[in-house]
Amino acid sequence: MIPKGFGRIAADAPLPAAASTYSPYQLHLTDENADLELSAKMRVDLLDFDAWGEVLKMYGRALRVAVALTDCDGLLLGKCYNPQPVWSLVRDAASDWDPGCPFCITKRLPCAAVADAVRTGAAVVVHDQAGLTHVAIPLTLGKETLGAIIAGQVFDRYPEPLMLRRVAKDFGISAQELWEVAKKERPVAGALLQASGDLLGALGHAFLQQRHGAILEERLAETNDRFRWLADGIRDYALFTMDITGTVTSWNVGAERMLAYTQAEIMGQNFSCIFPPEDIQRRVAETQLRKALQTGRAEYEGWSIRRTQEQFWASINITMLSGREGSIQGFAIIMQDTTEKKKAALVLEESQLERGRLQEKFLSHVSHELRTPLTAIYFFTTNVLDGVFGDLTPEQHKHLGLALDNVTQLKDMVSDLLDITRVDTHKLTLAHQPTSLVKVTSEVLSACRIDAAAKNINLRADCALNLPLVWADPARARQILTNLIDNAVKFTPDSGTISVKAKFFGEDHDFVCVSVSDSGCGISAENREIIFDRLAQVNGGGEVSRSGLGLGLFISRELVSRHGGRIWLDSRPGDGSTFYFTLPVFSLAKFCSHIFNGPNLGTGSVTLIAVDVVEVAGGSQADIVREIRQILERCIHAGQDVLLPATGDEGPIVTFFIVACTDPKGSALIGSRILRDLQNFDQGSQLNPKISSTTILVGRGQSREEQIREVAARIETSVQEHLLGKERNK
Amino acid sequence: MTQTKDSTAQGPDLTTEKKILIIDDDDHLLLGLTARLKTNGYAVVWASDAVTAISMARKEAPDLIILDLGLPAGNGFLVLDRMRALSDLVAIPVIVLSARDPADNKRRSLDAGAAAYFQKPPDNHEFLMAIRRALGETVALSTFLKT
Repeated sequence: MIPKGFGRIAADAPLPAAASTYSPYQLHLTDENADLELSAKMRVDLLDFDAWGEVLKMYGRALRVAVALTDCDGLLLGKCYNPQPVWSLVRDAASDWDPGCPFCITKRLPCAAVADAVRTGAAVVVHDQAGLTHVAIPLTLGKETLGAIIAGQVFDRYPEPLMLRRVAKDFGISAQELWEVAKKERPVAGALLQASGDLLGALGHAFLQQRHGAILEERLAETNDRFRWLADGIRDYALFTMDITGTVTSWNVGAERMLAYTQAEIMGQNFSCIFPPEDIQRRVAETQLRKALQTGRAEYEGWSIRRTQEQFWASINITMLSGREGSIQGFAIIMQDTTEKKKAALVLEESQLERGRLQEKFLSHVSHELRTPLTAIYFFTTNVLDGVFGDLTPEQHKHLGLALDNVTQLKDMVSDLLDITRVDTHKLTLAHQPTSLVKVTSEVLSACRIDAAAKNINLRADCALNLPLVWADPARARQILTNLIDNAVKFTPDSGTISVKAKFFGEDHDFVCVSVSDSGCGISAENREIIFDRLAQVNGGGEVSRSGLGLGLFISRELVSRHGGRIWLDSRPGDGSTFYFTLPVFSLAKFCSHIFNGPNLGTGSVTLIAVDVVEVAGGSQADIVREIRQILERCIHAGQDVLLPATGDEGPIVTFFIVACTDPKGSALIGSRILRDLQNFDQGSQLNPKISSTTILVGRGQSREEQIREVAARIETSVQEHLLGKERNK
Repeated sequence: MTQTKDSTAQGPDLTTEKKILIIDDDDHLLLGLTARLKTNGYAVVWASDAVTAISMARKEAPDLIILDLGLPAGNGFLVLDRMRALSDLVAIPVIVLSARDPADNKRRSLDAGAAAYFQKPPDNHEFLMAIRRALGETVALSTFLKT
């Protein structure tokens, strides 16, 4: 049987090279090697003849064929096994013969079988000049072809005397002798040749794969050894691995030293034992592993505990270990004892705190010491100015008035100094209450009018109608606005204009924005960057002789941001500046939100209780009001009733409002409790408390938000009505 | 005539003139504040340290005390505490007038029994209003509204 395309070659056929390719056996590569990329070293190792030699020889012997291993260029690797008698005869006779292909008996064109096999990836069968056949089988692993096996050198038909005679002539040997050797050869059927090619291909591929695996394993073992050697060499870090559950699977010498567990003691234990009990309770270990699972790694700093129960500060780095298919194999931990570093950081922090404390102490001392002489000057100046020692001439009056202005200025600076220390030590406290910016604006404007008038500056205000109350400390709101207007006056030339506006701001109108525009020299872009910084002083052509400490805008920014608002400016040099700040709108619904829940609103009504007291003697007004608020707070239920904040708008009759989620009976009870406690507080009965309550129905069938909004609006209306009534009675 | 003479002879009405004890170690403050208080019809006595403060208070039996917190031989809180412990002084209203930061000292002063806290320098008008209220003097509503 002659395979298809295995045509008979004529005696004078010029080409001994590739006659045809056949591919009954394709090297079916398994998926795991499909994307394999082999290093140069791996290629050399894979085709190591020491491994291949014996296998090929056994194969050749068993099948009585010649076998050789070549690289991709067809160069022989190691020895070739060739028992073919014709080849031996030619080989012995022609000692200077170098055929290129170890199996080609030809002096004509070189054999291209290996090159073709490498190129096509399929087995290539060739006949040589003597009529002998061999097969070149490519050796591939993954995408790469590593070399080839050449096998065969058998006649696939009876030798032809004519062809042999030409060979004898080419190689200078006896044609008779050649014929005698050749005619003893039994031709091998093409099918058999094909089958042995298949077999060899399969064998070669299998061997290659097995060898690849073996090499990898060997290398892995080497790497592991190297890693272990490295890991054990590192003594200042604890290195260990864990499986997915946190059970320790390896433990280096550094870990032994740091955590005082030997490898034998810790293997198979959960690594949470290196955390102190309180952290185990807080599930710190689990949390960190979960984080590592989510993001691939986790970094943690905290207390760790040795087997000896000694604690130390550790910085722990957890890396997730994943297998080739993305399966999670476990975690690698690198741990460092950073107790010393932590101690240093604590010392540094403490020294910074100490510096802050010293600075605060110094500034509050300075502020205190400045106040004492300031007070004496204040009393002397005001006494003389108010005519305690007799009338003054207009000139004397004017000059003393200016002296008093300077005292006030000095007093403000001293206050600013104290505020700065409060900013630094986070002690800047705000007394929030619903605050009218209209009122704040008019108060500040009337205070600033004198300074503005001195420079003939037109100072005007424009507040939007129905501006809501803001949730702010009124004294601080005044301070912010005063700072901005003072600044504007300072930098606006004579006869300029300053206008103050207040209007709604924000998408939901949940802020009020106040702006202060001046017709001054404007502020350059670079100064705009730094103007809110501490001690920022911008010289801008205006009168800067009385520029204060440069703390005003810095404090203003702190105050605004502490209120939850924002401060910024628009300006072009030569075109004036506008400073803006926002403060959050006071929302009754939000203020009462904690009592406006399902059960409380479910009763169908809430009650607004108003407590009116007459402002009386004994201490300052603000202090009495605060005392009364404390008494009222004690008379209500925290989760059910709420005392509304004062607006500071009270006249001689001060009203306190309580929103109570209760029925008329409940509100009467609250009222009697309040009366009793106020009478206890005010033995002289000067407060003359009067209690009234209004029932506000909760609408049904709306969403909770709508219900709350509506109830809040009704409460606000009732509050307004009560205050208006009070106004009328006065 | 007699009536006129009598009334002149009587001078200021000593029975209604209230006496204020200022406890402060700053002579200039004492001078300035005393002038202001006298103009407003109060008699003024002084003490400059925490120890004489108590003996002065017992001796003079003032109607009101203006107390500084930073004092030689003790501090204002000590004075407040001792006054609360002495039956003849416990009822005398005290107004604290201190250079100290009210954020730290106001609450403490009020808890210790002070009627009001003012930081130096106080506003003259507010300060006098507080004195009058602490003395239980009726403050005309018109005066109040003016502030």
